[in-house]
Amino acid sequence: MNRTEPPAGRPGTAGHGPPAKPESPAKPERPDRPVPPPKPIGVLHLGSLQRRLLLAALALVTVALLVAGLAIGLVLHRFVRAQLDSRLDSQLVALASSLERGPGDRLRLDRALDGPPFDRPHSGWYWQVRQGGSTLRSESLEGESLEARSLRLPDPPAMGGPTQDGAEPAPLPRNRDPDRPQPGDGTGPWGEALILRIQVLPARGGTPPVVLVASAPAQALNGPLREAGLTLAAILGILGLCLVAGTVLQVRLGLRPLERLRRDIAEVRAGRRPRIPGQQPAEIRPLVSEVNALLDQNATNLERARTHVANLAHGLKTPLATLSLALSDRTRDPDGRLAELVGAMDRQVRHHLRRARAAALGGATRTRTELAGPLADLRTTFGRLYAEKHLAIALDLPAGLAVACDPQDIDEMLGNLIDNACQWSHGRVRVSAAATEAGIAVTVADDGPGLDAEAAERAVRPGGRLDESVPGHGFGLSITRELAELYGGGLRLTRSDLGGLSAQLLLPP
Amino acid sequence: MKLLLVEDDAPLAAEIAKALRGENFALDHAANGEDAQHLGETETYDAVVLDLGLPKRDGLSVLQAWRAAGRTVPVLVLTARDGWSDKVAGFKAGADDFLVKPFRVEELVIRLRALVRRATAHGASRVTCGPLTYESGLGTFERDGLPLKLTGLEWRVLSCLILHKDGVMPRGQLIERVYDGDADVDSNSVEVIITRLRRKIAPARIEGVRGHGYRLLPGEPT
Repeated sequence: MNRTEPPAGRPGTAGHGPPAKPESPAKPERPDRPVPPPKPIGVLHLGSLQRRLLLAALALVTVALLVAGLAIGLVLHRFVRAQLDSRLDSQLVALASSLERGPGDRLRLDRALDGPPFDRPHSGWYWQVRQGGSTLRSESLEGESLEARSLRLPDPPAMGGPTQDGAEPAPLPRNRDPDRPQPGDGTGPWGEALILRIQVLPARGGTPPVVLVASAPAQALNGPLREAGLTLAAILGILGLCLVAGTVLQVRLGLRPLERLRRDIAEVRAGRRPRIPGQQPAEIRPLVSEVNALLDQNATNLERARTHVANLAHGLKTPLATLSLALSDRTRDPDGRLAELVGAMDRQVRHHLRRARAAALGGATRTRTELAGPLADLRTTFGRLYAEKHLAIALDLPAGLAVACDPQDIDEMLGNLIDNACQWSHGRVRVSAAATEAGIAVTVADDGPGLDAEAAERAVRPGGRLDESVPGHGFGLSITRELAELYGGGLRLTRSDLGGLSAQLLLPP
Repeated sequence: MKLLLVEDDAPLAAEIAKALRGENFALDHAANGEDAQHLGETETYDAVVLDLGLPKRDGLSVLQAWRAAGRTVPVLVLTARDGWSDKVAGFKAGADDFLVKPFRVEELVIRLRALVRRATAHGASRVTCGPLTYESGLGTFERDGLPLKLTGLEWRVLSCLILHKDGVMPRGQLIERVYDGDADVDSNSVEVIITRLRRKIAPARIEGVRGHGYRLLPGEPT
């Protein structure tokens, strides 16, 4: 199974001759063989155009909405963070401006700065000032130190150096602008997540630098963000649904001409139109003109095939006729065997010419033909052909009744049936037609001897020939059945109310 | 009875001509559409055998031209095409009967005799005049129920007269319908044939209408 082919395409050289032989019929891929078209992979290659377009639109909308959501979230985050930062920064500015030296060189504030929310214990809103060993902190810290827990603020002179417990201190961001506070994250004395602003006032006149820290709870950032995020997601979701609905509508509208084209082609196939009408969207027009060209070509081919068959008929039958007449002289054909051969040849030629005609039909072009015209012509024809029998051929059909068949094929099918009826009739033949649920039913009834069920079955068998003795007849019923089936119809033989055979031909409306 | 045979295929035309002359028909032959149309418009025939595939002019258009010119001569169309559409087209152009190649001589002859008989307004296949009976299916004559032996020329004259028994057959027309190109007119003048016929068909008789022609009558003058 996992056998790899030699890449250079030299299958013979790798192994010894005999063992390779049994595998050669399997024909593994060879570089010189035509490459089959790539197998359809994934949902985009599924059968439906509509599904294809919808899936593509859905994917694009999803990606676009996700990107938009992330971008808006980022902007919101920066906005809320900037709000918090400016609040903390103003606290830092207030602290820096109110610092003063108290007794014993201890730091103190010249006024109280613990306005809300810095006065609420455990709130996350803290501040702390430290210089060397002395520290000032907000009431909310309740004596705890900001660096006593996980947040470690390094001694400004030893920035980056190890602290007492040996752990790495949280690195302070590099201060590009010493006058501006720097951002940071940390954890408060009670484990709460904090957002920090840190400002270092540089050393001055022998005094060590002062580190000012103000903090806000991370909740103050995340709470509003989560709330805004939910609203944003809802809005984006609705937007997405609207976009998808719009796409569905667009696809439906866009594909509607295809459905109309399908109906037009069905009309052509049913013979109600000769060609597909030209007023179509610009994208479909080339397709329509191609299909029309194909229809024309089919019609031309059909015509050519028929001409060819007719020429062949003429070319073969004239010599056959001469031969047949020449053999009617008994001295040339004393026992009649040669005449029999001519008869057999004639039957073969006739049979295959009719087959060729039926094959040339192929269900390609269908025109809508009113039955009244061909039936009237056929009545005249059979009136003269069977003038000796003085037949009464009655026609009974509603005006305007039409079938989707080529006129020549109608002549062929009905001609065979009426000929058969006239041949066996004692005087009356009736041709009636009516529209039924299954199609147009044309019934040819006669008052002749009729057929029993077994003979009827034999008569419509392919190539069936009921009466071998009457020249020129016999293939008629089976040829008619074959033609009718090419049109999706059929032929049924029953007993007629006139007493003889009733042949019911079913044709597409 | 005289026929026009229109057939371009020389071997087939020769066989048909031979077969029809063997059945006592007088015959003219045209090998193309133009000749056929000219002959059909200028000569008198009892029937025409017309092939459809002709050089110079198609058989169907020749037929249409005859009908347009008011020629009512019965036409039997010969064709290689056996589709019903072809037959319908032939009948629409004015054909009276159709025969598809190949065919048997008997069928051609029977159909031709029937055509000629129907064209002279005789519906039944037997035409009777007194003791004389013409069986058009077989082309035979009987007198008082017994077969009548006739030569080819005698048959042509008598069949012509019996089919037109209700009127006088003009002498010129009779001559036209009796002789074809290779007949020996001198020793077989119409008068000689009529004289021989009168002996064979009595008591039916052939009356000469002076300056006009001949008429077949059922019995003795009263």
